[in-house]
Amino acid sequence: MTQIEVVEAPRLDGKRRALVLTEDRVGHYPEFREFFVRRFALDSSGLARPGYVQAPSGMVYALVFVGRSGEVFPDGIEIYALPDALEPLNDADLDTDLWALLRWMIEGVGGEWRVEDLDATGRLYQLAAAGAG
Amino acid sequence: MEATGEAQRFAHEQWPYEPKFKRVNGWRMHYIDEGAGDPVVLLHGNPAWGFLYRNFVRPLTAAGRRVIVPDMIGFGLSEKPVREQGHTLDGHIANLTGLLRQLDVRNATMVCHDWGGPTGLGFALSNPDRVRALVVMSTWAWPLPAAEFHKRIFPWRMMHAPVVGPYLLGRHNALAGRGMYLSVVDRKKFRAEAQSVYEGILPDPGSRLLTWTWPRWIPLDETARGFARFEWLERELRKSKFPTLLVWGREDEVFDQKTFATRFKELLPHAEGPELVTGRHFLQEDSGAEIAEKINRFLDRIDGRQS
Repeated sequence: MTQIEVVEAPRLDGKRRALVLTEDRVGHYPEFREFFVRRFALDSSGLARPGYVQAPSGMVYALVFVGRSGEVFPDGIEIYALPDALEPLNDADLDTDLWALLRWMIEGVGGEWRVEDLDATGRLYQLAAAGAG
Repeated sequence: MEATGEAQRFAHEQWPYEPKFKRVNGWRMHYIDEGAGDPVVLLHGNPAWGFLYRNFVRPLTAAGRRVIVPDMIGFGLSEKPVREQGHTLDGHIANLTGLLRQLDVRNATMVCHDWGGPTGLGFALSNPDRVRALVVMSTWAWPLPAAEFHKRIFPWRMMHAPVVGPYLLGRHNALAGRGMYLSVVDRKKFRAEAQSVYEGILPDPGSRLLTWTWPRWIPLDETARGFARFEWLERELRKSKFPTLLVWGREDEVFDQKTFATRFKELLPHAEGPELVTGRHFLQEDSGAEIAEKINRFLDRIDGRQS
């Protein structure tokens, strides 16, 4: 179902980090934070390294986990695309990749959070990436 | 220091008002201040700005009232914090308090809609010497129960869920565009007249931060950040004696009138209304002039009682 693959050691030479999405409060619903902790073993790795995923376009993204004093770790996530250093991002590809990442995340969070509801929300708000007309 | 906003002028035939700015509580706040008389303060919520009240300003000023319409910090022409931690319910009440004290507002009527409810009522209940009356529309002022709409995952909780919020409401501006469109009755008129204004005032993903931050402040259980403040709001509101008018949209599906107007009536048995108008959550879009007239008549009745 998912189009996202976790990548353990992506090639980083010749790449740059391009910030594409910031989440300041990943634990707003704690099960979301727990998903990232579980998926990237953050209990043991902490801030040592980002989580890397490869998206449908082939682009690798770095998930940088943010700690904040007094808050459970991670408190935030910054998502960076890793394009060739001097190349601009393709906005349509980026949008499709981020949508795939959201579907992967919701599938991983599970419980009452269902990919079908994410898709329905995307269609209600007429997102092309969600298959809305 | 007086904040200036020359670069922030907004030109629109339905919004011909002089932009004014004050530095409040550390932020640059935009507002308009029209007419003379006892002030009527018109408070918007998420993801609107003063433009929501464009059909209120002239009828109220023509009736001899001063009209103040602030843009909440994070919306409209006001400064937009870049981190979610820049927004708190108490901070927003303090922002409004900072403005209205600088303007030395007294004998004010607070017109409260959506998050203009908890913030405007928060000001009124902590500054009762400055407030004369309340007008309450499509909002709430207690911790629980939440609206059924706000408890559901589809679409509400999914829309502002972690990572989803910055994508859907940030990257795609879903609330200021499609979200408002779905929350009016006359959608064709809204699309032609107003939708692009609400979308355009939040031009970039970073400028839309508050659109997914406010939903996260709605209490769903006792662990919510704003729970204690909402308990205070409910407790103090129940003790208050402000003359109050309740105005609700018949078609409101977010804060449905049967549940929410009734609850306000229980808290404020002396309140007039609810007076029902055509409108979903953004009832000002469908019935702005009619509501302004209801406010004028309500304030005329208070004047009659006090004279």
